[in-house]
Amino acid sequence: MITISSVTLAVVLAIFMRSFQEGSYGIMVETAVGKFSGYVQVHQKDYWNDKTIDNGMVVNEQLIKTIKNIDEINGVNLRLESFSLASNKMNTKGTMIMGVEPAKEDAMIGLKNKIVKGEYINANDQSIILGSGLAKYLDIDVGDTLVLLGQGHWGQSAINAYPVKGIVKIPSPVLDKQVIFMPLLLAQSYFSFENGVTSVVVIFEDPDYTEEVSAAINAVIDTTQYQAMTWQKMTPELIQQIEGDKAGGIIMIAILYMIIAFGVFGTVLMMTEERKREFAVMVSIGMQKKKLMLISFYETLMMNLVGIIAGILLTIPIVYYYKVNPITLTGEMAESMEQFGIEAVLPTVLDFNIFLNNTLIIIVITGIAAIYPLFSILKMNVIKSLRG
Amino acid sequence: MKTVIEIKNLQKTYTETAVEVKAVNGVSLIFEEGEFTAIVGPSGCGKTTLLNLLGGLDAPTSGQVIIDGIDISTLSSRKIIDFRMKNIGFVFQAYNLIPVLTAKENAEFIMQLQNKSKVERETRIAELFKAIGIEGKEDIRPSRLSGGQQQRVAVARALASKPKFILADEPTANLDSVATSELLDIMRKLNEEENITFIFATHDQRVIDRARRVVYLEDGVVTKDELKE
Ligand SMILES: Nc1ncnc2c1ncn2[C@@H]1O[C@H](COP(=O)(O)OP(=O)(O)O)[C@@H](O)[C@H]1O
Ligand SMILES: [Mg+2]
Repeated sequence: MITISSVTLAVVLAIFMRSFQEGSYGIMVETAVGKFSGYVQVHQKDYWNDKTIDNGMVVNEQLIKTIKNIDEINGVNLRLESFSLASNKMNTKGTMIMGVEPAKEDAMIGLKNKIVKGEYINANDQSIILGSGLAKYLDIDVGDTLVLLGQGHWGQSAINAYPVKGIVKIPSPVLDKQVIFMPLLLAQSYFSFENGVTSVVVIFEDPDYTEEVSAAINAVIDTTQYQAMTWQKMTPELIQQIEGDKAGGIIMIAILYMIIAFGVFGTVLMMTEERKREFAVMVSIGMQKKKLMLISFYETLMMNLVGIIAGILLTIPIVYYYKVNPITLTGEMAESMEQFGIEAVLPTVLDFNIFLNNTLIIIVITGIAAIYPLFSILKMNVIKSLRG
Repeated sequence: MKTVIEIKNLQKTYTETAVEVKAVNGVSLIFEEGEFTAIVGPSGCGKTTLLNLLGGLDAPTSGQVIIDGIDISTLSSRKIIDFRMKNIGFVFQAYNLIPVLTAKENAEFIMQLQNKSKVERETRIAELFKAIGIEGKEDIRPSRLSGGQQQRVAVARALASKPKFILADEPTANLDSVATSELLDIMRKLNEEENITFIFATHDQRVIDRARRVVYLEDGVVTKDELKE
């Protein structure tokens, strides 16, 4: 019974913890950030160090073609990003203008179904959509007109007023309070930057190819003028956090497995010591040690199996619960997550592989532990053990 | 009379201890079928050691234990275990029933090792439980039986496989006088009616009184071998 419950506990702990870690922000940030910024972007060479519109570039058909020619790459999204003041009634706020290709951008980050009011923009619209937090702050609604004031290309001033076509709810509260999306063409005219973009977002399926794609682009473009960057390079602090978190997670898991191993071995050891006399009696009245070992091994195995199955059955609902009702994070990590448009919650993942892997590891641990009684029986001194 | 065990100049010296202990120091004895014998002596005189040698649980330093014409100290440990299963019944001071098994399962244990059929087992156990007066306790676990009842189950276990002889080390040491006399009655009856050979190690006067042969042991040496009937 003790053995069964210790194995059950081991399974519950291991799977639960792994499910949390797998679901943890590290991986979420990884995918979500990658999704939002694109895994690879191409900029004008100086743009990343000094993100002003003056370091933007004019769309160059040749460059786009060269990039698209690379095998893995499905296409590119053009963005023109810069800052402006937005003003409505008595409220003024610094905002981030994102000139985007509406259809492609929707395909990439799914903006359309985040619209909470009004409609999504089309490529040739002369209107904008803005984050719900920003709309609230500016006290502006769909159909109203928003005044924008900023700096255009090469010091030209950018002033204009655009009707609000829709309000979009961005998961990141920070972004939600400052982002304005407008069609790329409109942004180019607002900033007086014909055919200008700041980022070429490279679209491809498999994030595992990020490095390769970036390298492939850099190999074919004129790197004195342009530069391809992976999202990891674009957000190094975040990467550090993720890596640190992953390393911490591995240490935690190692410690957990050690505790589990000690627990399982401890109980097996105890059980064996407790039953030594019983074993000695069996051998003295005529049971072959081999047979006893077989039975003992089978017994331990069955107990472990019951423990593991019980553990899995117990864990599924717990993991499921925390998947549906994730733990909400607070503090620095939460902030940095929100900055990247990710909700600061910690759901678990209900992943068959986690169950499988951890169950296998525990089967190995208990399997090794099951060998101890066998040695104990083999080496047993019947007379000593009988005396107990 | 048929000889069941013959021991010749048996010696057992424990050397792991600081001082060498000659626990059994040159014992020669013959045990015959149908004996009811007590090996008697003060604590530490070597009774348990002698019994362990008789049962092949321990190997002698020198000398022979011949059962059925075979010197069991020459057998491999595998063969000795098999030999015990087929020929020897053990009764221990601490009963040593297997706690997770019921009374009946405990008694059947050796018969199962011997692959006896279910019918055969059932008949034998029913017969034995009746003979030793614990009918109705078949499905009870040892922890819920009294000491006397547990020891009777142990006797049933020892007898179940129809061994050549029973070795019992201080079987009454943990029992009160009622349970002791009941147990002795049962064993005497089995001895008389079924000609089962019993060899006890004991310093219990009640056992000595009921024994038909008493072997006195002192410091590993036989000092007296008394046939009472
Ligand atoms: N495993 C052992 N190692 C060393 N000495 C032992 C061992 N077993 C018994 N002895 C010693 O051998 C002597 C006889 O012991 P034992 O046969 O148990 O006597 P009894 O059963 O008559 O009390 C005692 O002196 C005891 O201390
Ligand atoms: Mg003794």
